[in-house]
Amino acid sequence: MQKLKPARFLDPALDRTSIAPNETLSHDQLITWYRTMRLARACDKKLGALYRQGKIVGAVYLATGQEAICTGVVSLLERNDYFSTVARGLAGWFLRGVEPRHVIARWLGRDVPPSHGRELGLFFADIEHYGIAPYHNGSMASWIPSGAGFALAFKIRKQPRVYVAFTGDGATSPGDFYEGLNFAAIHKLALVVIVENNCFAYSTSTDKQMPVENVADRAPAFNIPSEVAFGNDIFEVRRVAKRAIDHARAGNGPYLVEFKTFRASGHGEHDDMGYVDADLREFWEQRDPLRLFAEYLDGPGGLGETAVKAIDDECTQVIEDAVVWAEAQPEASPDTVGDRLFAP
Amino acid sequence: MAVITYLNAISQALRGEMRRDENVILLGEDIAVFGGAFKVTRGFLEEFGEDRVIDTPISESGFTGAACGAAVEGLRPVVEFQFADFIACAFDQIVNYAAKNYYRWGIPMPVVFRGPSGGGFRGGPYHSQNPEAWFTHVPGLKVVQPSTPYDAKGLLAAAIRDNNPVIYFEHKHLYRRIKEDVPDEDYVVPLGVADVKRAGSSLTIVTYGAMVHESLAVAERLSGEGAECEVIDLRSLSPLDRDTFLTSVRKTSRALVVHEAQLTGGFGGEVAAIIAQEAFDVLDAPVTRVAALDVPSPFAAALEDAMLPTQEKIYAAAKEVLEY
Repeated sequence: MQKLKPARFLDPALDRTSIAPNETLSHDQLITWYRTMRLARACDKKLGALYRQGKIVGAVYLATGQEAICTGVVSLLERNDYFSTVARGLAGWFLRGVEPRHVIARWLGRDVPPSHGRELGLFFADIEHYGIAPYHNGSMASWIPSGAGFALAFKIRKQPRVYVAFTGDGATSPGDFYEGLNFAAIHKLALVVIVENNCFAYSTSTDKQMPVENVADRAPAFNIPSEVAFGNDIFEVRRVAKRAIDHARAGNGPYLVEFKTFRASGHGEHDDMGYVDADLREFWEQRDPLRLFAEYLDGPGGLGETAVKAIDDECTQVIEDAVVWAEAQPEASPDTVGDRLFAP
Repeated sequence: MAVITYLNAISQALRGEMRRDENVILLGEDIAVFGGAFKVTRGFLEEFGEDRVIDTPISESGFTGAACGAAVEGLRPVVEFQFADFIACAFDQIVNYAAKNYYRWGIPMPVVFRGPSGGGFRGGPYHSQNPEAWFTHVPGLKVVQPSTPYDAKGLLAAAIRDNNPVIYFEHKHLYRRIKEDVPDEDYVVPLGVADVKRAGSSLTIVTYGAMVHESLAVAERLSGEGAECEVIDLRSLSPLDRDTFLTSVRKTSRALVVHEAQLTGGFGGEVAAIIAQEAFDVLDAPVTRVAALDVPSPFAAALEDAMLPTQEKIYAAAKEVLEY
């Protein structure tokens, strides 16, 4: 079994077990972000249960441990900016207004828009309502080229908009990572690539995936700026992502940010993570993004334990209600299987 | 009207669509400054500017993905693969992103992929392929292949105006060899409509692309021998116009399917199966196929000629079907 030293993934300079903002934030903002992350965590917990109960068939993929990254990044986007992420960025969907009941209904294969049973809950795209751009799901590198395409359209139309691709460490090896960033860098497109380095591509650790210490070390090939940061600290996520988004929006081209984080659940719930050393799990458990955020709110954030607990309870209830609603939705009719193959 | 080449017809369609819709942009290798390896886009950079005529790095998957994203955002990108053979490098973006996007999300992706395809001019294994069957197997893609300047212009205009991914295979060997009168103004040849290129009652030849011309030549020869062949040019493989060739087969009772791509798994197998299933009761002879041998496209003249379907092979097969 692969022995993994935590320090291999998290430079001591990045490491922290307490967090604090370096910007002025209102209680409303803090509550919105914390609630979004907690909602994602509660949703994931329930999805795992539904999978083990046999109610979600096939597989289910969770975002546990990575909630701060998408929440922090999406919190900085303008409404007409686009992003794409799989369900590892569940909280990002929620922050844009996607409802948990719809997410759960999709995991259950119910006939709800926009996929009407054709796609797993793992994926989501709806430009019109949420500015979440469609991507191909076979490879997580594949939406770097298509993201460059969205940004190309923004540039041609002289729109100061940004496309953010959320992807993973594993996605920095396929050719699409290079081809997309190369194209975007040549044309100075507003493409922000957020790499959630969660230590594993399915079961393969980063040291078996790349000859560099950090994903960000690959950026010089494109002559673009890059940063490495701690992805479980939502305040650091915002601090770093703001630089990236501002840079891209100003017409300076792509920006690569690598957030060190940890996938606290398996690749999917079928995966028992037997390949992950107990020390590594324990290390990251101490740095769980929700734990860090809750401790901040309870302490220096000034919200207090009762208020935090109330948010947690409310999120649990929202998810319980969402499951009831989702299970009551109809399954897609077999008669629709041939529908909507071509656009009119 | 003016007599123009197949290649000029493609250029005219591109230019016409770019003039009528500012959302149409072009991406590809060497298409801007150089005007394209085959000069389809010569002068386009000067007329439309570098925002709309984009020289890409040699990264087919990258610029294909970029075209797909831009298409979702409302542009109408036309991607030129320098040779259709290189579409293999972009296979994933086409079959897993473009083809499935509308089915998954209901979001249109109006993008055209131009693939200069086909052999017969000693291009060797990587400059001669006919990869249409790789894509006709994938739901969600439209696949067309014109044989004449008129169809080349009209089908490309229709492809660009369509709200779905369309793969447009243009046969390189027809580029400068085939000329005809083509209207100066814009027009479309609808996708999914076959064309009867020659009427006849003795034998139906179902074909497309460069083999339309070889089949027509064979039909002329057979006409001199008293047999009148009906030559159906499919033009679109997906969506497929079954009615036109089935109607013809019901009239002639004999069918020959001809294409330049390799035989096994080729699109002709699909056509033959449809005829066998839908017109079994009228057939007087086995549905027969003429296609390339099941080998890569070889370079040397003697080898390529042996590999490709020729008028002699089509003639021999047609005689067999006629005399069955």
